Amino acid sequence: MMKTITIDPITRLEGHGKISIFLDAQGDVVNAYLQIPELRGFERFCQGRRAEDMPQITSRICGVCPVAHHFASTKALDNAFNVDPPSAAKKLRELMYCGYIIYDHILHFYYLGGPDFVVGPDAPPAKRNILGVIEKAGLEIGKEVIKHRAYGQKITGILGGKATHPVCGLPGGVSKGLNKDEVKDIETMTKSCIEFAKFSLKLFDDIVLENKDYVDLILSDPYTLKTYNMGLVDKNNKVNFYDGKIRVTDQKGKEHIKFNPQEYYKKIAEHVEEWSYIKFTYLKDIGWNGFNDGKDSGIYRVGPLGRLNAAEGMATPLADKEYKRFFETLGGKAVNSTLAFHWARLIELLYSTERAMELIKDPEIISTKIRNPVGEPGEGIGVVEAARGTLIHHYKLDKNGLVDKVNLIVATTNNAGAINMSVRDAAKGIIKKGKVNDGLLNMVEMAFRAYDPCFACATHTLPGGMPLEIDIYDKNKKSYKRIRQNL
Amino acid sequence: MKTVVLGVGNPILCDDGVGIHVAKQLKQYINDPDVIIDEALTGGMNLLDQLLGYDKAILIDAVRAKNANHGEVKRFSLNDISSVHSCNPHDVSLVEALKMAEKLGENRIPREIIIIGILLKEMSCEFGEQLSSKIAAAVPKAVDMTLSELEK
Repeated sequence: MMKTITIDPITRLEGHGKISIFLDAQGDVVNAYLQIPELRGFERFCQGRRAEDMPQITSRICGVCPVAHHFASTKALDNAFNVDPPSAAKKLRELMYCGYIIYDHILHFYYLGGPDFVVGPDAPPAKRNILGVIEKAGLEIGKEVIKHRAYGQKITGILGGKATHPVCGLPGGVSKGLNKDEVKDIETMTKSCIEFAKFSLKLFDDIVLENKDYVDLILSDPYTLKTYNMGLVDKNNKVNFYDGKIRVTDQKGKEHIKFNPQEYYKKIAEHVEEWSYIKFTYLKDIGWNGFNDGKDSGIYRVGPLGRLNAAEGMATPLADKEYKRFFETLGGKAVNSTLAFHWARLIELLYSTERAMELIKDPEIISTKIRNPVGEPGEGIGVVEAARGTLIHHYKLDKNGLVDKVNLIVATTNNAGAINMSVRDAAKGIIKKGKVNDGLLNMVEMAFRAYDPCFACATHTLPGGMPLEIDIYDKNKKSYKRIRQNL
Repeated sequence: MKTVVLGVGNPILCDDGVGIHVAKQLKQYINDPDVIIDEALTGGMNLLDQLLGYDKAILIDAVRAKNANHGEVKRFSLNDISSVHSCNPHDVSLVEALKMAEKLGENRIPREIIIIGILLKEMSCEFGEQLSSKIAAAVPKAVDMTLSELEK
């Protein structure tokens, strides 16, 4: 079903990933670019709207991670209205956030990233999906996956008012508390989720870590990138999804900088490339040094691996144990193996379940003091860790509390520089002397799938599937080969 | 027989949200306790959750097709297509979600799933709540087609 189409800016905007690979005279890879479509006009869309509507509006940007946008936005409003929510409200928000991480990480590991490992990277594409996972792992496990993903969703729904697009976040607190029955429900589900998270880590052990081929693949050069790492940490430098300071560590895991989220614009800058609609963020003090890793390049990574590297542990006991084992097994800090994102994700899943249990058992969780009065409107910045990395919302409100300026830096933008390099390196590992085999698509896909990227979120296509196009060009930049799927 | 009618799409992404516009209009015409009309701002697994427990499901959604007659409204059966609505690396398609549910013995899957598709040749990537004129003109057609589907 290969057919040629003209590549113009419109097709690039239609909501699919497009990869261009450039070869030299010997037919080896010089460079590769991943182009991600960007939705435009968001700031204009928001201008003049009531600030309180922003948590609902921004949660509609994405059909997959509405909770992260909802709370980055709510926290930006706390900041803009100069109000500190009561401690019970913060706990309710964080508990809901745990529910989101639980379902999101389960979805990614079992449905999207997992098939590469559980079914195998060389398996035919038709098998490399959740059905293949179930076939291999068994129906009972499939049922557990469905059940616990739904539990995460239900916890979010109970707290958020709606399962997918929450309506609970308000500047200064939340609109809804918990009653005793709901607490009981959440506790029962959370208990089961802890066991499931432990099971998932065991599964990763048995299937991946026991298999030398997989471990070699994880540690192989094409999947290694020595960038800086970024993530939110609590006061003990432990991973935190909901709040804290932004910490950046270097290639050896040493603290490079740590700052208040409100100072992000002093620390992070954006680089523009003419071929990309997405800007590339980098550390201001290090500077932009092209698509290179190492100490002199300001590119950093966020998301599960970025967070684990940027912290000094997990704040809950079982997850902390796994955290230590992770670094011991993979050769100490920092772990620079892109495919280790998957393992890191499971450790975070365990953390979220344990943290949810701590929160639901906290007597304050049924408090009715869940909102503080707001102050005068101004400027506000809110940061959370979305499942796929640091998410920043920055608003300027006018004196009537209407939105004037909006700046969002989403997780995939933070990772964009690194994703590009990972795609390039995976391509380099596969294409030699102009020989391109059909395994290319999956090896390249594995490289960026590890980051769990979020492209343009709502564009509909029939037939769907993950649309991807790889164009390979020879030394004269003439089209050499094209591989397409779901287009 | 219980039927769910779901407008699918993103209401802040212009024509992408056409399904939601249709669902909103339908609410004026339907007053039947056995027909639930709702909005789905999501795909894949979450969309599946919204279908379970009904005998029949009608999804109203924007359908992008390269050679389409822009603004045409067409009825599809789920069997006509291999994969629905997961133009996003972080989700599975509805078809995949359904296959998995079947495999795991889910017994609440609707016996019939129909798609009322509003065909789009291209999709704007701009934020906005308004439909373009051609797609707005398709809304009444999609409403009629859904109503006659409900009479079947």
